Amino acid sequence: MTTGGSVWPRAVQAVRRREPGSSQFRGTVWIVTYLLFILAPLFALLLGSHPPARGFWTEFSVALGYSGLAMMALQFGLTARFRYVTEPWGEDVIYHFHRQISLVAVALVVAHPIILFIARPELLSLLNSFTAPWRARFAALSTYALLALVGTALWRTKLRLRYETWHLLHLVLAVVAVAAGVLHMVGWSFYLADPWKRALWIALTILSLGLLAYVRIFKPLFLLRRPYRIAEVRRERGDTSTLVMQPDGHAGFRFRSGQFGWLTVWGSPFKISAHPFSFSSSAAAMDGRVAMSIRNLGDFTSQIHDVPVGRRVYIDGPYGAFTMGNPADLHVLVAGGVGITPMMSMLRTLADEGDKRPVLLLYGSKTWEEITFREELEALEARLALTVVHVLENPPEGWTGERGFITAAVFKRHLPRAYANHEYFICGPGVMMDAIESVLGDELKVPLSKYHSERYSFV
Amino acid sequence: MRRLLADRLVLASALIVVLMSALFALLRVTGRHAGG
Repeated sequence: MTTGGSVWPRAVQAVRRREPGSSQFRGTVWIVTYLLFILAPLFALLLGSHPPARGFWTEFSVALGYSGLAMMALQFGLTARFRYVTEPWGEDVIYHFHRQISLVAVALVVAHPIILFIARPELLSLLNSFTAPWRARFAALSTYALLALVGTALWRTKLRLRYETWHLLHLVLAVVAVAAGVLHMVGWSFYLADPWKRALWIALTILSLGLLAYVRIFKPLFLLRRPYRIAEVRRERGDTSTLVMQPDGHAGFRFRSGQFGWLTVWGSPFKISAHPFSFSSSAAAMDGRVAMSIRNLGDFTSQIHDVPVGRRVYIDGPYGAFTMGNPADLHVLVAGGVGITPMMSMLRTLADEGDKRPVLLLYGSKTWEEITFREELEALEARLALTVVHVLENPPEGWTGERGFITAAVFKRHLPRAYANHEYFICGPGVMMDAIESVLGDELKVPLSKYHSERYSFV
Repeated sequence: MRRLLADRLVLASALIVVLMSALFALLRVTGRHAGG
């Protein structure tokens, strides 16, 4: 199963399906647009008429408050799964940004009253919600809701909250935080005397809540009319089950190998939580059938092998930027455990298309018996210019292949030395991906643009 | 690594927002948009 150092032929350049420059351009446009959405409504308040200035620190704290509220409202846009927004980065990075920027929003929103109270101590009486005016009570409600939202997200497992319970609470607290924040702002109306300014901020709020309605009401209505049926449930090695799903009454959708979808098995698409899984089937299939191979990791995934054939399910997709498209002399797929699933889609697609580009798969598994798709990978080696290198944590007696984990030494033993010329795809447990990214970036000096990873630890 | 980039963008966004908020306050108090 292992290969020694071998001479790799130059690749026949495959058809490029994606221009890397366009993704970088879209990423730049993305971040500039994001900041404009936060700051433009704030600076719009300087137009037209406005009341006398109140001192630097008061004005600064108010600007922080407005910015924090705009940032909170934009959070609905980040999780609305708009492909044009997520494609430059990948869904998991957008969710990561969503989590991290929420901490900034909290800091801005909390800094607003703290600075205000220091600059104007007479306002401390507003902390008494029993005697404070309604506009101050809304401010307190918004702040407490935001703190509860972030706290329950950070400490969900410590608080022993089930994922679905936490998710519903998260949505409710988000709506309360934004709505109460806007009511506080409109109630105070210091900068909103002009009707158009009031209308602008109310419109922004309606827009952000409208995004939530899109994700939670309109999108599920669309999915309800495009169901799938379970056509087959296959047991695979490594305590994994493959669900093969057939579109029911519609043509289905096309996806790129490496992408994923949100799957709802038990319940309707209105159910609060769907689960993201990579497609493991060939993207070249024309009949609309898709497959997802799911490992038993507890909770939802432990019930997958019991899903009956014929059951109606729903798939929201495709999503993801984890796709082949850039030309390279060698594509290196690095998979750990169930991270093999997007790689299987890539390899099956190459086989169906008769694409003979050189591919090296480094596949880490616990034992020889648990290697998911082991036999199929052997067959694909015969059909493609594919070399599979298994790396076993607990190899059988007499094993002469790679053992332990995928390390820099493993890369150096199996890759041609021009490491920066290859294109890398990494998928597996988070710890493994951190280690591999470190090897590629720090030890092998592979540029960031040459390796791609996608993670699914959304919360 | 894209997450590292995302973290840097978060920090940059925070810094830009704070600086722009300070600019907003300066414009208000220095008379350009003092109002009244």
